[in-house]
Amino acid sequence: MNDERQEEFASLYAFGLLEEPELSAFRSELERNPELQRLVAELRAAATALAHAAPEAVPPEALKSRVLASAAARGAKGPAEAREKVVPFPSWIPWLAAACIGAAAIWSQRQYAAARAENASLGEERRVALASLEETRAQLADARKLVTQYSLQVAELSTKLKDEGDLAHFKIATLASMLGDSPAALAVAVWDPAREQGVLEVSKLPALASEKDYQLWVIDAKYPAPVSAGVFEVDPVTGVAHVVFRADKPLHAIAKFAVSLERKGGVPQREGPIVLLSP
Amino acid sequence: MSLALPILRFPFAAPDSSRTAARRDGTVWMSSEGETSPEDRARANAALIRRMAGGDRDALAELYDSLSRPLYSTAKHILNDAAEAQDVVHDVFLALWENAASFDSGRGAAFSWAVTLTRNRAIDRLRTRANRARLLGNSIPDDLGYGSETGDLGGSGLAELGDRAVAVRSALAELPADQQRALELAFFSGLTQKEIADKLSEPIGTIKARIRRGLIKLRDALANRL
Repeated sequence: MNDERQEEFASLYAFGLLEEPELSAFRSELERNPELQRLVAELRAAATALAHAAPEAVPPEALKSRVLASAAARGAKGPAEAREKVVPFPSWIPWLAAACIGAAAIWSQRQYAAARAENASLGEERRVALASLEETRAQLADARKLVTQYSLQVAELSTKLKDEGDLAHFKIATLASMLGDSPAALAVAVWDPAREQGVLEVSKLPALASEKDYQLWVIDAKYPAPVSAGVFEVDPVTGVAHVVFRADKPLHAIAKFAVSLERKGGVPQREGPIVLLSP
Repeated sequence: MSLALPILRFPFAAPDSSRTAARRDGTVWMSSEGETSPEDRARANAALIRRMAGGDRDALAELYDSLSRPLYSTAKHILNDAAEAQDVVHDVFLALWENAASFDSGRGAAFSWAVTLTRNRAIDRLRTRANRARLLGNSIPDDLGYGSETGDLGGSGLAELGDRAVAVRSALAELPADQQRALELAFFSGLTQKEIADKLSEPIGTIKARIRRGLIKLRDALANRL
């Protein structure tokens, strides 16, 4: 850069008129060139002296008061040296503060890392627990289904057992033929003590004359004579009869059932021969 | 737009030797009334700023008394607005107050620092004004105005001008008119090189050369007067 060129750049620089890219190159040269620095200082002093060439104007008196008032208002944060005098501030305090902040930052980072790891672990445990909970819920649902099924089965079994229990209380007897000419005649008597009612199924019993009836008797240990349970007829062809009967007296301890041949309509006390008899 | 520069009509093109004892020995320029030398003023201002750095508001008041006139005149001339000029001067003195500790007298005089702050802030305000066309056409007077008026000092204010103002105006008056005009626009207008060239209808290279030659001459002239 020749002297004239340098002077031109320095002149423009002194007025703040130098523009890129010359400005950057000039600044670089200025940093390392003391002679150029001196030239710029001289030209800048000459340029700023032009302030005296402006038409003279006197600022209002109030402006000075305004400036001083503003400076007083900013006094607390005024010049740096003033702050140093008013509030002694050892130079090591910022370093100590920086060290404390650094230590706090490291501690916080570690705490954060630990908390994050713990959080991850807890998250994993939570996922496992949720999976286990779902599995348990599924098992519980299955168990409830089984309970329902078992309850139904229990109910069925209870009903069945009740029926079987009730059946156990029934008195069932087979009446064999006492007739020499009709040895195949047979009857089965079933007595339900709860209902105090019975059923008699008869087969191959000979048909009777019109003035005769078969009469069913119940031998109960509590009574000295057989208790009548009604009369019946059989089918004249098949010798079959289905008879629902009740006793004339309350029964307590049935020992045997017997069928006799009696007058039409039956008799209070047995008169005719026994044709069927249970053991 | 007239390019005739009233500065050529400036009555102090030849400083009044009855009031000043301008010497060209390169060291001191003294007024006949015994004003202090420029070096003494520079040292005094530097001392005020050092006191300000220590929180001395009396020093700020003294510095204000010393610098407020040229700073306000500069801001008002750039902005052509008294209220804005007052705001600029206010802000500049607060900046000096708050940054006094950073002042380095080895890098320049306090006056140069203050003028640079004032000019930059005023030009910043100027450039933020919305109407750029208005800036180019109206905000910059064709001349500095001190040929037809003497600012707030009135027609007889010449006698009241400071010795520094007399010295600068005298030095300017010795420059060719085209160089005076180039320096005026370079300092007060806030225009770029190209805008100055456009305003003066000259090639940009010519403007750069005028600014260089004018400023070098001004430096040399002021070296013997300030």
